[in-house]
Amino acid sequence: MAEQNKPLAGAGHYRIETGTPVSLMAAVGTLIVVALLAALPLFAGRDLLENMIFVLYMLALAQCWNLLAGYTGLVSVGQQAFVGLGGYILFALTLIAGIDPLVAIILAGAISALFALPTALIVFRLRGAYFAIGTWVVAEVYRLSFAQFRQLGGGTGTSLGPDITNAVFAIDRVKSLLDVRTPAARDIISYWAALALAVGTTLLVYLILRSRRGLALGAIRDSEEAAASVGIDNARVKLAVYVIAAAVTGMIGALIYLQKARISPDAAFSVLDWTAYVIFIVVIGGIGTIEGPILGTLIFYLMQNYLASYGAVYLILLGVLAILVMLFAPKGLWGYLSQSYGLELLPIRRRLVWKKDQ
Amino acid sequence: MKKYTRGINRRALLQYSAASGAALAAGVESPAIAQQKPIKLGYVSPQTGPLAAFAEADNFIVGNFKNATKGGIKVGNAMVPVEVLVRDSQSNPNRAAAVAKDLIVQDKIDLMLVASTPETTNPVSTQCEIEEVPCISSVAPWQSWFIGRQANPTGGPSAWKPFNYTYLFFWGLEDVIAVYTTMWGGVSTNKSVGGLFPNDGDGNAWGDKVVGFPPVLGKLGYKLTDPGRYQDLTDDFSAQLAAFKSAKCEIITGVMIPPDFTTFWKQALQQNFKPKVASIGKAILFPSSVEALGHDGNNLSSEIWWTPNHPFKSSLNGMTAKALAGAYESASNKQWTQPIGFVHALFEIAVDVLKRTPQRGDADAIVEAIRGTNLDTVVGHIQWNGANLPPFAAKNVAKTPLVGGQWRLRGGNKYDLVITENRTFPAIPVGGEMEPII
Repeated sequence: MAEQNKPLAGAGHYRIETGTPVSLMAAVGTLIVVALLAALPLFAGRDLLENMIFVLYMLALAQCWNLLAGYTGLVSVGQQAFVGLGGYILFALTLIAGIDPLVAIILAGAISALFALPTALIVFRLRGAYFAIGTWVVAEVYRLSFAQFRQLGGGTGTSLGPDITNAVFAIDRVKSLLDVRTPAARDIISYWAALALAVGTTLLVYLILRSRRGLALGAIRDSEEAAASVGIDNARVKLAVYVIAAAVTGMIGALIYLQKARISPDAAFSVLDWTAYVIFIVVIGGIGTIEGPILGTLIFYLMQNYLASYGAVYLILLGVLAILVMLFAPKGLWGYLSQSYGLELLPIRRRLVWKKDQ
Repeated sequence: MKKYTRGINRRALLQYSAASGAALAAGVESPAIAQQKPIKLGYVSPQTGPLAAFAEADNFIVGNFKNATKGGIKVGNAMVPVEVLVRDSQSNPNRAAAVAKDLIVQDKIDLMLVASTPETTNPVSTQCEIEEVPCISSVAPWQSWFIGRQANPTGGPSAWKPFNYTYLFFWGLEDVIAVYTTMWGGVSTNKSVGGLFPNDGDGNAWGDKVVGFPPVLGKLGYKLTDPGRYQDLTDDFSAQLAAFKSAKCEIITGVMIPPDFTTFWKQALQQNFKPKVASIGKAILFPSSVEALGHDGNNLSSEIWWTPNHPFKSSLNGMTAKALAGAYESASNKQWTQPIGFVHALFEIAVDVLKRTPQRGDADAIVEAIRGTNLDTVVGHIQWNGANLPPFAAKNVAKTPLVGGQWRLRGGNKYDLVITENRTFPAIPVGGEMEPII
């Protein structure tokens, strides 16, 4: 469509649209997929649910990192700080305070947000590469601090017993309703929690980006000075994004360690497991898009499932793939697809469209 | 199969497995395998990553086990096929938990076996406990495994609870303390000891003021200088060295990861600090770690859990400890290491337990069989009877003998591990006298 010719063709006006012809269909499709996923435990076995829990929490982590790096330009390599923090809060609340694990997950989000505020004060004094290094250093400080906390096992770590993992809200109801064993019922509840977190995170990112704030994020990412010059309060917007990402990451961390039932500082604050893999997912899938992390998570899951047993070779392969994608499809696989075919399933970009007056 | 024979001499493998196969087939009238679902064994160990030395012999052991049980094992009157699913924890606790859950949920294993260091045994055992899958662990001191998995690790015995599905055979801290202090008695020193305890699973246990070294050393008249917990992978030990020098320590002890001990020892020699005795846990278990010190590793001492000279035989194929180590050496062209015996014993116990469990798919029946184990293995007698254990750990832990010894420079850069202390278990013969380092 030669849109630049349209103004000459008659009376009309420009308007800003985010929707595309396929986006309505995609929205309906997304709703159906989410509904199906929610009903999955009714007909799927534990093996599928277990894989889905992994996919969903990695997706949620990837959306959070994408919100930081892809939309706001805050390239953090220290998100493991909040995964570990969430995990440790879960252990503290369930083991020491005796709180229901599901409630503890929600509280872990709130407490992570509180921790994120002073953390932000430190790391926001740095920019670009220094910000990245700073976030990593902060994560190491978190790791070393939790290693001193003897009640939670210090450097040794500690485990959740069946008395705690089986005390999850509504586990008996799920057991009798779906007629499954206790460990299976626990997985079903964790699955729903993971689904809620993944869908919730994706929706949250989508809504933020569709709002006026979303425009501000892109502006900050592209040029902080220019953004400030058009009246955006950079510091406030960045802080809000950082705290939101920390809260969600903390909740995901709590869920991850409820699943693992064992925590130790080196595992909980692992830069490889909770940041490097997440960056891989976003870079491969397509940074700065909602669809990218979804595609990236699926690719990562398949690689992990079929290749992880090769150990070091698998890690080398991940690295090579990431480099190839960065070289030949810098916007990731989704970026490449959407550019080639004009696809946007969950559109967040604003486009100028000519509308003829009726 | 192919994957597990990598780098192993084919002839030695065949000899070894012929022995195993013959032993297993003996007494079987009709080796016909009915159309049965195989029993599935999961095995997790750190095959890659910083702790990979512990799993060096895994391919050899597992390959042989698979070969030996090709015809299945005799359960009741039937021959039942066995399948072993091997997973790598990559020395990463997150990965260990993930592969354990995979084995349980995706592969639906009947029995989990897990070996080597709390970083792998603890996450795997934790998953098994909450998934109600029977699990046998080894190669992790029982305190790190038992107390390290308690909800309230600082709460003391009254707060610690036994486990229902997870069991361990290995030795404990009290054994290391006994071995080290008797070894030190063989050398005349000023009884001033410097302690190097990191802030990790083992270091916290060894340095603990209640269950660790400090109370025992005090009782025996040793003066301990403990400069506090350090983080693993430290590259500067000058604070510790200064403390040891000013206390005139002639004995050094601790439980360190191999790179940290190498760093410490090099810095100590640079600063002209030469203790008469250095008894270090974990760091110098493997010949490769001592070889990394060049000629400076002579007479370093360590705990010894298994050697070819241990007077034990495999229940699986009747091989002696010496024959087992020899088969590994000729198959791999590498020096034997201590985990060989224990990984082999894990599979010995698994076969013994499964033979005594005719009920298929019944986790509680397998647990009952584990608790009823009474077996002489290549690492000694295994029975979960609470012998030499405090009451709280009696249910889940079975102890194996521990002795002590020194690395002796053989010429070139090669070292031999010589047993110098056996008062803790006199049936294991000594190979030499305890010598001071200089």
